[in-house]
Amino acid sequence: MSKTTYDEPKSAKGPLYYAYKVFQYVFLLILAAISVMPFVIMIVNSTRNTSQIESHAVSLIPSHYLLQNFKILGGKAFNPWVGFMNSVIVSAGATICTVYFSTMTAYAIVAYDWKLKKPFFTFIMCVLMIPAQVTSIGMYQFMYSIGMTNKLIALILPAIAAPSTVFFMRQYMYSSLPMEILQSARIDGAGEFRIFNQIALPMMKPAMATQAIFAFVSSWNNLFLPLILLTDKAKFTMPIMVSQLNGDIYKTEYGAVYLGLLLTVLPLFVIYFLLSKYIIAGVALGGVKE
Amino acid sequence: MKMKKALSLLAALSLMASFTACSNTSSPAATDPVDDNSPADSAPVDSEEETPSESTAEETGDKKELRVWAFTDEVPGMVQKYLDTHDLGDKYVMKESIIATTDGAYQPALDAALAGDEVDMYAAEAAFILKYSQGEAAKYAATYEDLGIDVDAKIKEAEIAQYTVDIGTNPDGKVVGLGYQATGGAFIYRRSIAKDAFGSDDPDTVKSEIGPGWDKFFEAADKLKAKGYGIVSGDGDIWHAVENSSDTGWIKDGKLHIDPKREEFLDLSKKLMDNDYHNDTQDWQEAWFADMAGTGKKGVLGFFGPAWLINYTIAKNCGREVDEATGEVKAEGTWGDWAVCEPPIGFFWGGTWVLGANASPNKDAVGEIIEWITLDTSEEGLQYMWANGTYNPDNATKDAVASNVVMKKSDGKIDFLSGQNMFDIFVPANEFANGKNLTPYDETINTAWRDQVRQYTAGNKSRDEAIADFKQAVSDQLDIDAE
Amino acid sequence: MKSAQSRIKSISNAKYGYLFALPFVIAYLIFHFYPTIYTTVLGFTDCQGLNNTEWHLLKGNLFENFQRILTNKSFINSVKNTVIIWIMNFIPQITLAMLLTAWFTARRITVKGQGFFKVIFYMPNIITAATIAILFHALFAYPTGPVNDLLVRNGIIEASYNFYVKKVAAKILVAFIQFWTWYGYTMIILISGVLGISPDIYEAADIDGANGMQIFFRITIPNLKTVLLYTLVTSLIGGLNMFDIPKLFLNGGPDNSTKTASVFIYEQAFAGKYLYNRAAAASMLMFVVIAICSAILFYLMRDKDAAALAKLKKQERKAAKKRGTGLQGGF
Repeated sequence: MSKTTYDEPKSAKGPLYYAYKVFQYVFLLILAAISVMPFVIMIVNSTRNTSQIESHAVSLIPSHYLLQNFKILGGKAFNPWVGFMNSVIVSAGATICTVYFSTMTAYAIVAYDWKLKKPFFTFIMCVLMIPAQVTSIGMYQFMYSIGMTNKLIALILPAIAAPSTVFFMRQYMYSSLPMEILQSARIDGAGEFRIFNQIALPMMKPAMATQAIFAFVSSWNNLFLPLILLTDKAKFTMPIMVSQLNGDIYKTEYGAVYLGLLLTVLPLFVIYFLLSKYIIAGVALGGVKE
Repeated sequence: MKMKKALSLLAALSLMASFTACSNTSSPAATDPVDDNSPADSAPVDSEEETPSESTAEETGDKKELRVWAFTDEVPGMVQKYLDTHDLGDKYVMKESIIATTDGAYQPALDAALAGDEVDMYAAEAAFILKYSQGEAAKYAATYEDLGIDVDAKIKEAEIAQYTVDIGTNPDGKVVGLGYQATGGAFIYRRSIAKDAFGSDDPDTVKSEIGPGWDKFFEAADKLKAKGYGIVSGDGDIWHAVENSSDTGWIKDGKLHIDPKREEFLDLSKKLMDNDYHNDTQDWQEAWFADMAGTGKKGVLGFFGPAWLINYTIAKNCGREVDEATGEVKAEGTWGDWAVCEPPIGFFWGGTWVLGANASPNKDAVGEIIEWITLDTSEEGLQYMWANGTYNPDNATKDAVASNVVMKKSDGKIDFLSGQNMFDIFVPANEFANGKNLTPYDETINTAWRDQVRQYTAGNKSRDEAIADFKQAVSDQLDIDAE
Repeated sequence: MKSAQSRIKSISNAKYGYLFALPFVIAYLIFHFYPTIYTTVLGFTDCQGLNNTEWHLLKGNLFENFQRILTNKSFINSVKNTVIIWIMNFIPQITLAMLLTAWFTARRITVKGQGFFKVIFYMPNIITAATIAILFHALFAYPTGPVNDLLVRNGIIEASYNFYVKKVAAKILVAFIQFWTWYGYTMIILISGVLGISPDIYEAADIDGANGMQIFFRITIPNLKTVLLYTLVTSLIGGLNMFDIPKLFLNGGPDNSTKTASVFIYEQAFAGKYLYNRAAAASMLMFVVIAICSAILFYLMRDKDAAALAKLKKQERKAAKKRGTGLQGGF
């Protein structure tokens, strides 16, 4: 990944070069501002009260109503921690399922030769195209009939079959899983499961990490299935809780609504900024290679 | 190795979160799961355990849960109050599920919960009560008799408004739901603006300025416009008056039917828009509330609404700020600048009906609470407190209630209306309240209708197109064809 | 395939292939395949009404639901909306992502603070769509929301603009939110694709004296084909299933202009009259649309060189396995 900086352009240092650089940075900064601005407004407004927001909805100067907004929010039976914990359970569970079993499935395709391998891969590619919404009606009826509505597990187990992750892992394995190491482990008499868990899996870490992040984020943000399957307030995930902030019982308290949004985003912000370097680098490491 | 780091960080964070949650007493479900389902625990099988429900059971101890579903915090608040002040509170705790009706989110969730036998008691609004009392969801509602209420005698004794009873009666003729409010509508206006435009803020003067009939109403709008005011905030304000003054509902003999009075709403709305008689707000949106505090684009004279609109909405949004600790009033907003008078046309709007679930294992408790809310006429009954502003001392507004007996012994003078007795207006208005123009699908159909009317008034399509598209939308979404 | 395999291992190992793929297959069959079949079947039944458990195959016209959906103007309209919104979001998104990728992977004129920009650009993607929808709803509120406040205060427009009654404005906003959420993700994927291209090719180009533009268009883009296809297909599938933002931002309005197919299906099935059979039929039709679109994309993006190359690689791989050496020898 090291950048080759030795060949600085010989000709380019003219005014055109600087104009280009200025344009580039101005453009990037504007883009960065657009990405950040909504969150800034959200954070600032969560500290302001309703009448301040009503008279001027944009301000960069925080006010002192944070505590009051918090009280209002608490009084409306909005409990972000319940949603947060449910979301953590679902997302962590789903991520582990997705990453582990997808790697396993990809390994089955890459490391072994079996008769149905090719049809199986084609099949996965087709499955990749069936979106959750298409099957949701049947999914709901099915979950309802086996009494799995209002169970978080109903949102975790389906994650075992994650075609796009399998696709990604397969691509990565083909380029980065040295078969001879597996072979030599086999000669040493290691069992196939041990080879997978202790040799192949650690080598797949960069790709797994990448997929783990994507899986976690998409599971965390999933609204459609939880909305259909969960009706018990104690089981609500974060997105459902957030979607209710739009309801008319909150409508009148803008400061509190912004604060509610902030609370739902805060954990993500914390995780993201702690891991951001790693996330970006991880993504870059495990790019889709052919 | 990085993976592990990431995961342990996640675990640490979630642990942190759970500690914070511990100190937060109102989150029974949040504490336990972490121990069992720590994300760092890489064996996926572990996450199968469903701990949250256990911990909820533990927390509640011997007390049984009363599962209350509602679309605002109003009914759960009443249940809580009953549990706090009566012996029943020793045996039960409330577990409320509040889902706003915005975007139609309440009904699907409630339906699923009812089907799963996860509800003890639930609330329904006028826009969809028929579905739960007479329509396809009526099968989930327990009759009041079943809940142990001597309902027929009690209704007579309390002189409950007849339309409340009619709407809450199932096809077998049994009462399954009753409301606690009376929702006859009035025109609720700003005194200062009336004085400026009409020379007087007296209800009788204002009444004859804005009505009767829409023609007089628009004459008044002209006068207000000359002074730089709007007459209402948005077209939604007159919609509620139009909707519930019409003779027929949306569905007649299984077909979509547009009552002439409802169709006229297109023209009324257009007129408001073209002449800039309002602030073009949408009800329950930010700008609508701003007009209650007088901070909107231009001052507006008033709102169409029943007593609950004052109590539940306008008073809360009038911009009054009271320091919680000292009780000192920091800002008055429009508090005290309001009065009510007869509207140009009689109407009613909304109302909440309370139902008990057939499958509830706690029918006695549900019956006890429902009786207190809907049929108790004593001074300790909900309706008396509701009508006299003693229910919630922090928010001492009053509301018209369903029991005539209670109304007779209550007094509707409030500071918010500068001492006017609002019951003088609201009690006679109740004669316009009836259930004959309600249908089980009003919420969905109204949404489609209002949407098309807005398209027409915004100049995006012709009147005929709007009607045609409305019919199409209803047929597509509900499989109900137009006549 | 079977012939060129090392004889001893293939026999003993084949069963592990099946075994390792088993969890996926089981979970797939239970949680995805069965519901899919269930949904398909429902499309041919009279299953309507709240939690209806007694439904029957349609007598007479078995395809009635499909016909009703295909003649349902709202459905046709919702499919159109979905496609329009997706295109309005995807074209700027991929263009911007490409531009940023070109900048961030440029080898001559490097951009300082790349890490910072990448982190910021990717950030919206991790935020819950529900949060974003509600946040933007508040931001564009009429007449007193932050955006209107800014525009009016700075004299850009005279009076507040009601974004929420104009069909085109609403569509653009939904597309913009999608764009805003996803361009960082696409950028990261593209960058990782570029980093995956062998440095040898670039060195060769440098030696040949190619300039930055030439390198980007002649080397980077052709080599990115697989990644671009991946992006395109996943974005298309995601786009055709767009639900959270249209649903929560304006609930499909105004005048159904942001009602996507998924929102339509949701409304048919879970709101109003619980027309499960119609919703199921609409779902299957959507699936067909997605499958056709993906197939077309695959076909268009497939180039013969790559196909030939893949074949060659496969042979190489087989040969390599035969010799007992790994492919490309790891990193």
